[in-house]
Amino acid sequence: MAVITLPYKYLERLTRTDRKTILEKVPLIGSDVERTEEDHADVEFFPDRPDLFSPEGVARAMRGYLNIETGLPNYPVKPSGIIFTTDPQLASIRPVLGAAVIRGVKFDDESIQSIMSLQESLHWAVGRGRSKVAIGIHDMDTVKPPFHYIASRRSRGFIPLDFKEKMTMDEILEKHPKGRDYAKIVKDFPLFPLIVDDDDHVLSFPPIINGERTRVTIDTKNILLDTTGTDKRAVSVAVNIICTAMAETGATIESVEIDGVQTPTLAPAERVVSVPECAKLLGADLTPASMAGHLQRMRFGAEPAGADKVKVKVPCYRADIMHDWDLFEDVAIAIGYDKLESQPPRTFTVGKPHPVMVNAALTREIFTGLGYLEVMPFTLTSEEVLYKKMQRPETPGVLHVMHPISIDNTVVRTELLPLLLEFLTINRHRELPQRLFTAGDVVLNCRTHQQAAGVSTHPDADFSEAYATADAVLHELSIDYTVKESQDPAFIDGRRGDIVVNGKIIGVFGEIHPAVLTAFELEHPVAAFEFDLRAVPGYPGP
Amino acid sequence: MAELTQNEKRLLATLEKEEKADAPHLAGLLEATPEAVVQWAHLAQDKGLVTVERIVAKEFVVTDEGKAYAKNGLPETQLLRFVLPGTQLADLQKHEAFKIGFGQLRKKGLIKVEGPSVAKVPGASTDADEAALRNPSAADPKTKELIKRGILQECETVRYSIAITPEGFSLAKKGLDLREETGTLTREQILSGSWKTANLRRYDVTKLPKKAYPGKIHPYQRIIGEMREILLEMGFTELYGDIVQQSFWNFDALFQPQDHPAREMQDTFYLKETLPLPNGYEKVKAMHLSGGETSSTGWGGVWKEEKAEQCVLRTHTTSLSIQYLAQNIKPPIKAFAVGRVYRRETIDTTHLAEFEQLEGIVMDENVSFGNLLGTLREFYNRMGFESVRFKPSYYPYTEPSLDAEVYVDGIGWIEMGGAGVFREEVTAPLGIKYPVLAWGLGVSRIAMLRLGLKDLRLLHKSDVAFLRETPSYRKIKGGI
Repeated sequence: MAVITLPYKYLERLTRTDRKTILEKVPLIGSDVERTEEDHADVEFFPDRPDLFSPEGVARAMRGYLNIETGLPNYPVKPSGIIFTTDPQLASIRPVLGAAVIRGVKFDDESIQSIMSLQESLHWAVGRGRSKVAIGIHDMDTVKPPFHYIASRRSRGFIPLDFKEKMTMDEILEKHPKGRDYAKIVKDFPLFPLIVDDDDHVLSFPPIINGERTRVTIDTKNILLDTTGTDKRAVSVAVNIICTAMAETGATIESVEIDGVQTPTLAPAERVVSVPECAKLLGADLTPASMAGHLQRMRFGAEPAGADKVKVKVPCYRADIMHDWDLFEDVAIAIGYDKLESQPPRTFTVGKPHPVMVNAALTREIFTGLGYLEVMPFTLTSEEVLYKKMQRPETPGVLHVMHPISIDNTVVRTELLPLLLEFLTINRHRELPQRLFTAGDVVLNCRTHQQAAGVSTHPDADFSEAYATADAVLHELSIDYTVKESQDPAFIDGRRGDIVVNGKIIGVFGEIHPAVLTAFELEHPVAAFEFDLRAVPGYPGP
Repeated sequence: MAELTQNEKRLLATLEKEEKADAPHLAGLLEATPEAVVQWAHLAQDKGLVTVERIVAKEFVVTDEGKAYAKNGLPETQLLRFVLPGTQLADLQKHEAFKIGFGQLRKKGLIKVEGPSVAKVPGASTDADEAALRNPSAADPKTKELIKRGILQECETVRYSIAITPEGFSLAKKGLDLREETGTLTREQILSGSWKTANLRRYDVTKLPKKAYPGKIHPYQRIIGEMREILLEMGFTELYGDIVQQSFWNFDALFQPQDHPAREMQDTFYLKETLPLPNGYEKVKAMHLSGGETSSTGWGGVWKEEKAEQCVLRTHTTSLSIQYLAQNIKPPIKAFAVGRVYRRETIDTTHLAEFEQLEGIVMDENVSFGNLLGTLREFYNRMGFESVRFKPSYYPYTEPSLDAEVYVDGIGWIEMGGAGVFREEVTAPLGIKYPVLAWGLGVSRIAMLRLGLKDLRLLHKSDVAFLRETPSYRKIKGGI
């Protein structure tokens, strides 16, 4: 999520209304006001709306929403006559280039801060951490066109931003903080992308760092924007968002010729959408005229087209409009979610619980009838708890997560009993007897099923108690079982039994082995059992 | 006044005659142990009927070693008897009391060693030491010496003197029912009818009972159960499914681009396992690349099969809904699931790496975004939240999208969950022709508020005392 700083005075000047009105209404276009300070507010916008990642963009949207200025914003572009050449060797390195000239910039503290933050937010939201898109802005009066986007040898040097000495590009990746942060994007290429002017001065080493020479300051009047990346649409969105935001501050935008094409055009995309389709989706009454009005408030160009269509011009900065429904959402926002008629659908259906859940509920009922208290342990645990402390070998089919967050969360549970013993450890200081149970999911070989387990601890807990309780639960569940001596090392030899159904071991009960008790730091005997709920007759599942 | 027990009555009756006596004396009369008598006396004292005086006395006790000496004399006494004129040291050494006795005699200056022979000093006597052993006295330095030598021990003895008070006396005078009391009513008494004359012991109802702890459903499970019930009442079918999901069903089928930040390693638990892609996956692929046959542009870029095959711990239960829809494309569908989902978050008091999510979907010919708002309003109302409001939001697989908030007294508006209409990019590749309304809700947030927990981890690593103390009862269904 992107949190954007909105300085009140700057925002009021751009929106042409007071801060109170803006802050009250801005959540209604899709945002959360994180905090309001004396001179600014921090507001979070959604990642699909990078056009709102600047005070200029927010002001543009709010002017529409508040009916101060509606319809498509007009951004004229004239050719700068500047050519930007590209090197074919970049095709496999960083193929896409976008650029623009922004003239007549009048920076003040707010607007220069705003453009820098916008650049960073775009790097994150559109650029995926600069890998997909990286943006450079330069003081154009320090360099001489035409410009060249080239694949350069890695040993070439220049003075990077914030440094005083010349460094080779390899050195930058090692020593410059931005070099270290983003080295992984380019380090495996034999040649590095580089932007130079006609005198061979370095403007930028995308996506890593600009040159110190073209540093933008509060006195900068004219800007050259370069945007490089791997995805044509994403690069173009970034260029459009920056150019239109700068145009909102009064700058003029000029295009650059890249591979014979003038870019950017800042031209809207057109879509013709169906009014009945929109009305049906939203559950609202709409006419072509009313729908066009709603869209104009959301800063689209919109006019009725025939009896049931609206012709929409989508501003070039609205990267999120991929589908007609994206426009319909804007219609809903313009109407206001709380003004839409909200009625449950008339669809008639009969409620139906899932048999696995019905069975789990029954199991809970049986356990509680036996005086057992339910606990709900985590499903992520460790080999230490599941196997080592239990003296058991690793269960075949256990799943290891690839990047665990801690040593306590490395595997998905394959049994429940170890987690109940862990519970007894946590509750050692609590009054005895303690009788705990759990019924829930375990995972083997990517498949989930349910098991149930119970433990009882007090000075007289023994094999007989484990057997009697397991027998009661199994009987209540109509599981027809036999018992044979178990080999489970978690239990005491001669005080353990396997629960067998149709020749298959489906569970175990007995007295926990003293070495296991010691491993769990327990002092009293534990009578325990666990079984697979799939043994219940008629149990659903594969 | 609280009832007197049978034993208190007997004590009082005895004291009516004795007035004041030691516990052992009373114990003899009452045929009980002195300890029991003191216990009864304390109970009666609480009622102001007797006084109990605790008398502490110091006493000298002869140790085991001392007991032997009391019989045979102290080692120095024994040895001194053996010393005659001309006794050789070597002979003396053979005496069993030599080791201790010789040292004591030398220390007290009662003998002299002259070359190989040993002689008494004139007037040598241990009579004073023997007297101290037999009649110890705190003032006697000889006694102190014997204590130091571990022959005597100083002990405190506690004696209880019990006296009847005027109130006790007047109560006893009025007459006490001294019939034998019956504690547990026996089968024999019931059958024989002897219960009619039995004196059933009365209990003090002002005392707190011994705690009994019932077996119970976990309070969190109760909340989950309540939500299930509401959705079943509203006509929804419950879904249950695998924790491990293919990225395809967890992300791709929900139109989450393969380079979406939520799909990165730092947010999702990946497994090294893979599963083969389902038949017809190409339609989903085409949707990502170019929008398939819809008005969508798709995400463009690249779409890799290997990425979609990789297994993850499901990050939402929407992976179950979408598979259910893929298998049931005919309307109407109303389904829900409550299940654990996984996010790779650092665990702290308000964040868990696994938590319950409630998920619901409605698919039918004429359902609308307004119906979604209506369904949510109904659900939250039934959960006990009277004020519900909606605001725009963003989810990659829904459009329009919203967040629902409910009003809770004393807290304010609380975000409860997200919802939206599944994008056509999600439904079209599965062959679904009608809108799908979908919503998700974090269950643990409600549980935390209701149970007053400051630490979410306690839902899963619970204190047994907390579970025992949390009542099962709730006044109404729902609410915080």
